[in-house]
Amino acid sequence: MAVSSTQVQFDSLFGLFTYLAFAVGIVVFSFLIYLVIKYREKPSSRQPEDTPILGKAPQTRGHVRTVLLTLTLSTIIIVPLIAGSFGAIENILTPPQNVCQGCAIEVTAHQFYWQFTYPNGTKPYQIRDTLRVPVGEDIRLNVNSADVFHDFGIIGYDIKTDAIPGRTNTIWFTPDVTGNFTIQCFELCGTGHATMKGILMVMSQAAYFSWYNSTVVH
Amino acid sequence: MAEELRAIARRWLYTTNHKDVGILYLITSIFLFAAAGVLALTMRTQLSVPGNTLLTADIYNQFVTVHGMLMIFWVLSPLAFGFANFIIPLQIGARDLAFPATQRDELRFFLFSGVMMILSFFFGAAPDLGWTLYSPQTASLFTPTVGFNLGAGALILMTVSITMSSVNFLVTMLKMRAPGLKLRYMSAFSWAILITIFMMLYAFPSFLAAVVLLYVDRAFGTVYFSSIQGGSLLWDNVFWFFGHPEVYIVLFPALGIIADVIPTFARRPLHGRKYVIGAMVVVAMLSFAVWGHHMFVTGIGIVSTKLYTVTTIAISLPFDVMIISLIETLGMSKLRLKAPALFALGAVANFIVGGITGVFLASVALDYSLRGTYFVVAHFHYLMVGASIIGLIGGLYYWFPKITGRMYNEKLAKIHFVISMIGFQILYFPMFLLLDMPRRVVTYTPDTGWGLLNLTATLGGFIFGGAQLLLFYNLYRSSRVGPPSGPNPWEAWTLEWALPSPPPPHDFDVIPTFLADGSIRFGSGPSLPNGAGHSEIGYPNGSSVLVGSSSSHLEGLSPWPILMAFAAFIFFLGLTIGKHANPQPVSYQPFWPLIADGVILGVISLFGYSRETFTVHEDTHVESWPFRQVPNMKLGIWTFLGAEVIFFGVLIGSYFFVRTNDAAWPQAGTLFDIRNGFAMTLVLLTSSLTAIMALASARAGNRSGLIASLGGTLVLGAAFLYIKAGEWFSLGASNVFQNYSLPASSYFITTGTHGVHVFAGMCMTVYLLANAIKGKYVNGDHTTLEHFGLYWHFVDIVWVFLFPLFYLI
Amino acid sequence: MNTNYLYLIIFAALIGETDIEVNLSSIIPAYNEYVTVLLGIAGTKAILIAMFYQHLRYEPKSLSTWVIVGLVIASLLMGLSFVQLHVGH
Repeated sequence: MAVSSTQVQFDSLFGLFTYLAFAVGIVVFSFLIYLVIKYREKPSSRQPEDTPILGKAPQTRGHVRTVLLTLTLSTIIIVPLIAGSFGAIENILTPPQNVCQGCAIEVTAHQFYWQFTYPNGTKPYQIRDTLRVPVGEDIRLNVNSADVFHDFGIIGYDIKTDAIPGRTNTIWFTPDVTGNFTIQCFELCGTGHATMKGILMVMSQAAYFSWYNSTVVH
Repeated sequence: MAEELRAIARRWLYTTNHKDVGILYLITSIFLFAAAGVLALTMRTQLSVPGNTLLTADIYNQFVTVHGMLMIFWVLSPLAFGFANFIIPLQIGARDLAFPATQRDELRFFLFSGVMMILSFFFGAAPDLGWTLYSPQTASLFTPTVGFNLGAGALILMTVSITMSSVNFLVTMLKMRAPGLKLRYMSAFSWAILITIFMMLYAFPSFLAAVVLLYVDRAFGTVYFSSIQGGSLLWDNVFWFFGHPEVYIVLFPALGIIADVIPTFARRPLHGRKYVIGAMVVVAMLSFAVWGHHMFVTGIGIVSTKLYTVTTIAISLPFDVMIISLIETLGMSKLRLKAPALFALGAVANFIVGGITGVFLASVALDYSLRGTYFVVAHFHYLMVGASIIGLIGGLYYWFPKITGRMYNEKLAKIHFVISMIGFQILYFPMFLLLDMPRRVVTYTPDTGWGLLNLTATLGGFIFGGAQLLLFYNLYRSSRVGPPSGPNPWEAWTLEWALPSPPPPHDFDVIPTFLADGSIRFGSGPSLPNGAGHSEIGYPNGSSVLVGSSSSHLEGLSPWPILMAFAAFIFFLGLTIGKHANPQPVSYQPFWPLIADGVILGVISLFGYSRETFTVHEDTHVESWPFRQVPNMKLGIWTFLGAEVIFFGVLIGSYFFVRTNDAAWPQAGTLFDIRNGFAMTLVLLTSSLTAIMALASARAGNRSGLIASLGGTLVLGAAFLYIKAGEWFSLGASNVFQNYSLPASSYFITTGTHGVHVFAGMCMTVYLLANAIKGKYVNGDHTTLEHFGLYWHFVDIVWVFLFPLFYLI
Repeated sequence: MNTNYLYLIIFAALIGETDIEVNLSSIIPAYNEYVTVLLGIAGTKAILIAMFYQHLRYEPKSLSTWVIVGLVIASLLMGLSFVQLHVGH
């Protein structure tokens, strides 16, 4: 079930990585286990001819073919991983230029809470702990910190970014369903790190905009 | 009885024998492994159920930090270096390490640094911001505890020990191999250690610079890591430039053990040996170009993130070659599944999982979700515990017979293996599934649903931890009553197995020789006796005694290393435990009694050292490509200077970093008087001239010229410091730096560090001058002057860059 | 050539270059260019000291290679950080 644009993109890329990881893992593990079982020492085992013995440096063994094959296969596997990553990061790092009125929100990390600032009219509306957004709209967040190095993450949305004093990092997403999601800090920032949580409240567009307009000070 | 105890104490406190030093490292790290493991199990207990209150957040944060620091710095590396100290000189047929004098210090500095780290708990709070110590939460403003400063002091002491080790081992392995032991015949473990040390040499200076800068920030109010121009990203860069090579530093020794153990027990050579070693070299070089993957979501920009994604994913390729080669080694083999082999194979299996999940984290796009979660924790524990610790335990079983002369209990070891592997998977695999759970949290709420996986992991933790009791028991009991193992119970080929178990104090009676066809000649015969080709006194029976010291561990005892390390420990304690009445912004409060004691003890130790003969082995028949024509001491000094290049590189780079980020930096000419800088440059350049003239005079046998030149160098060095001090005072007193600003920070720190190096050079000059007056150096014994010159000219070169960087731009 | 004489010549070159450095800002007004040339001159001074005073020119190649390795690694730190700060934001 699609929860957000970021979650959908993550799931598909993560799925690609997982699929290839299992494929590689199964092949390599099978190879390892097969050789261990087949060649474990038994009474019938033959003594290899090139056993290294004290008094002689071991013989050379192996062929560059194996190395080339390993490298080639590895390269083939990592190319889609890199290509997929490049495509995804370009998406993540190009937030939409135009978002709705009330969809560009500033997130400020504090020890140990989250503060959200909605720029509207003459007086930006500040609220703690709960980040309200409308479903189906592109949301752009400018994340910074008022004190130390935090990290703003939304659980279930597969998106986060570092909140660094003096810097603003921008992330964006489109929520696909209404509901509440947990916001949490993902960088150890002090004793209150574990309790530095918030709520992402995804509202229907009607509910959101009526709330947003009520915060505007004329 | 008392006499016996005294002898034992004397041996272990004062030993300089590489094997004893190795055993001490092993025992210390096993002990600290248990301690850090207890910290971990306590944390796991806290996390086993949601909302648990066993540990407060405050204590939990200290535990998680000290657990990480202890395991990485005081367990993984020392465990590896315990083996390296014991085994490497045997495997390469070296008579001793290249610099026996510093070798003795390394262990003691390391010991005291561990004590200091543990003491930090008792001074307010131990460091509590993760072993990664991110800024600016580590600044005094946010973390005013004194214990933090002690932790910093401990890290600095530990890094000093590591740098001495790196220089020592590098020179030993490059220049003191047995005759005919070409690099290509060197065992995989030796290669792994050589490559590890190479990475250590260039990575740790960055860490040292970072910790020194952090300490100076906290104590003296400089603002590198608390400013927004520096701060989080500056720390990230200088820390991770070290931090990433560091994770390979703690991994490679285990990989080396695995690469020695698997062929031994498979009874076949390592498959594709030269490619395995080549792959390790590639990883070592690349490891310095991937660190940005720890900064993927900091906002470094799309070009950098793509760049680091590519380098990090690419670094998996050489590892693929290594793993496939290790597995291929099993082909057509006769695999004896004894404990060392089981642990080696188990480590390979865990490595596969850890390595593959590393590729996930290498993708910047995936990192935007996985960063800071338990997926990361699982990934690195699969490698640091699953590959590294498991591999090192394999090494413990493998070399136990060689070290103790007794065999461990094989059945118990196998049980240990099975329970460890099962416990390990139960402990860490669930963490991959906790990819939404933040790291380093003291607790979590029930609604997250993370409870079951956490409980499972905790159970696995107790199984894994409990299994290690079998290891401790097995090793302890077998060392007492195990059956004698004989010299080569595994029928291995590497040189340490040619010696009795345990080896005699002087190792080989006769250093083995490698012949051109790869065969190795031992024992008596036309090969070279221990010490042949050396310029010291040789005895007809083949053994030799070095003038002033001895190759027998019983006679090579010296109290000075432990005293020197203790002096450093006391000195650093004095620097860090003082509590300032008003700690913002400057928290430095020297505790003078300890500082004074440390200095006095240090001077006494140095004096004691100078009374001993500092002998550097210079053998002529050893294998020493590619440095055949470079004497050991000179190579040692150049190697040390390589580390200094990184150290100063980080200091200068930090200056550039904050300056680039600061649009309001004062223009050239507004802060400093160019004439001062010009004068200091001229003075120091002239001192380089006098230094080289001193060497030229000594070579020509010109005693008065030598004394005049050395005196000139001393005077010029003093002049430099005099002008510098004048500048410091006038800048400090005036308001030209708005207090504690970035320009002030970068100026005082960089020129201060350089000034300390100048001062150290001047102390050396005094020593040389005293000797020159006594008539030394003019009779062909001028190498000490040459070595001093190398250092002094390097200090000059640093200033050659500092002058334009501070005064002219 | 008499080595002492060589040392004096190198010394003169070092002093001369320092003199140029101090006056360079009036010769090259463009800031970025100025800084680049300035650091280039500093680099040549360092090379002269290393080659002649530290004797690297006369040492086996293996030693200078060893030195260069350290410089390459240091430059990785500088270079990649430079990219991080200046490229692709």
